[in-house]
Amino acid sequence: MKVDGIELNKIRDNLWEIPKTDGMRVPGRIYISREMLESTLSEIEALKQVMNVAHLPGIEKYSIAMPDIHWGYGFPIGGVAATNLDEGVISPGGVGYDINCGVRLASTNLTLEEVQPKLENLISKLFQSIPTGVGASGAIKKLSKSDLKKILEKGSVWAIENDFGNQNDIKFTEESGTLRNADFSVVSERALERGADQAGTLGSGNHFLEVDVIEEIYDNKVAEVFGLFKGQIVIQIHTGSRGLGYQICDDYLKILIKASEKYGFKLPDKQLACAPIKSQEGRDYLAAMQAAANFAWNNRQVIMSLAKKCFQDTFKIKESDLGFNLVYDVCHNIAKIEKHKIDGKVKEVCVHRKGATRAFPPGSDMIPEKYKSVGQPVLIPGDMGRYSYVAVGTEKAMEETFGSSCHGAGRNLSRHKALKEAKGRDLVSELKKKGIIIQAKGYKTIAEEMPLAYKDVADVVDVMHNEGITKKVAKLKPLGVIKG
Amino acid sequence: MPSKHNFISHTADIAFEVEADSLEELFVESFYGWFNSVIFSDNELKIHSEMFIEIKADSLEQLLVDFLNELNFLLITKKILCLRIENLTIDKRNILLNAFIRTHNLEDTSIIKSEIKAVTYHQMEIIKKDNKYFVKVVFDI
Repeated sequence: MKVDGIELNKIRDNLWEIPKTDGMRVPGRIYISREMLESTLSEIEALKQVMNVAHLPGIEKYSIAMPDIHWGYGFPIGGVAATNLDEGVISPGGVGYDINCGVRLASTNLTLEEVQPKLENLISKLFQSIPTGVGASGAIKKLSKSDLKKILEKGSVWAIENDFGNQNDIKFTEESGTLRNADFSVVSERALERGADQAGTLGSGNHFLEVDVIEEIYDNKVAEVFGLFKGQIVIQIHTGSRGLGYQICDDYLKILIKASEKYGFKLPDKQLACAPIKSQEGRDYLAAMQAAANFAWNNRQVIMSLAKKCFQDTFKIKESDLGFNLVYDVCHNIAKIEKHKIDGKVKEVCVHRKGATRAFPPGSDMIPEKYKSVGQPVLIPGDMGRYSYVAVGTEKAMEETFGSSCHGAGRNLSRHKALKEAKGRDLVSELKKKGIIIQAKGYKTIAEEMPLAYKDVADVVDVMHNEGITKKVAKLKPLGVIKG
Repeated sequence: MPSKHNFISHTADIAFEVEADSLEELFVESFYGWFNSVIFSDNELKIHSEMFIEIKADSLEQLLVDFLNELNFLLITKKILCLRIENLTIDKRNILLNAFIRTHNLEDTSIIKSEIKAVTYHQMEIIKKDNKYFVKVVFDI
């Protein structure tokens, strides 16, 4: 089929290829059903971005997009690209402004019957304890420069050393919550200032903390290994590196726009500004990006600890009885140096995942010992009125997508249209009738984030499941949400 | 004809197009676009102080991105909201902006409508046509 001059060849039912054209170094590949592709076509910009990414020097195999593809900056959201370390580049456009935006899932020993009677109290307590909204701050005391340095270099480890969690949490965080080449010295004063009082805050937009019940188990064996069972109460935390990450991205875009000119790269979009991974500019961005990633892991760790206290206070329950174990923490906006098999040879590459989740298979050295027999948990949140999913990584993901899968639902309506749709409706009551309690800083956020504003995440997850990239493990139903 | 900015549809973020008679007016009008994107209303906001800003860049587009990012940084990090811009000048040869901004010290953050992560470079190109200046501004929120 051809759309606005872009040729799309069907490879399999849920896989389409954009052939190499002028300037593209590799073809584009999009994992998506025909129905979703037809609705995505209204966002032709996103398809063009898949082609733009294929221009990056050193890109390997394909410029890939997940079924939750939509218009981003530089890369589309849902974009994945691996660049080789010899002549390959690193681009902030493949990571995004919210560096290490990600999701964490914690399980409890509580069931729906135990939580339901106190649900409203619980959500209120969570809303009071965890700062949300624009420029949210003050979850914990304002950090000194020395603490900030430690967070940027140690990630979640800082939180554990300061009583915001335990060693077990580290074990179940991607990269153990620390990227080790982070360098405080390449982070600007302005970025530090933006992050100084934002540790432990959710922020605004689509970030949230959600209390869910496990509604359905698809794979009993894997669910058991992940410690999940039907009727169980779990929580999801979705946030990232806050203002610190936004500033680092902005700072380095400027540097890399210059670098792109210096190295003579012909790029179709300024937001794809990049530098060779081995260059000083590339190394500095990688080190600063890693620092922001560490800040984000620490952020989610502190929030989880604050949430745990809310559960203990609400249910007057001992830590050992509550559970509150971290199932996993994944990042979905990141660039990482990983080993992948390309043309039969294992190569080190820089995998950019922009709105895409790592999905490593059973046996991977990069996943916790406990999960080695089944694979890595892949966390895919939906909207606040329907459901979210837990899936598991597979060998096929390693073969086809550099070990990556989808990350969420993707927007269906613009914020403006969502506000129009919400006019005259009482969304809080509508959600309450469905058994979902919501607390947010303002009604505008609730309206912009209403379920209708998002695509059905089940469609996204099913594409990856049917293609064998990730396999469904559990479906979560929201009970309570706090937002900015 | 007075300068104007018009919001355009964007699925996830905020975008607007600006039209002005001069480059300086284009920047000031972009400020109004930014203001209307981030603040609910300015009806009762008092001017508390003023400050001088100077921004240097490598291109006019970069200058606009940096200018709006500066206003954003002041708002989110320092809680200083720019209400008015006066005497904005642009030295095109050196790509240098100077301006006085009149500001409000924000105590109530509930008047902030949206948190802008950053001003993007997406499709940003300052165009001069028939003695008019045009630009499209997209915010990642």
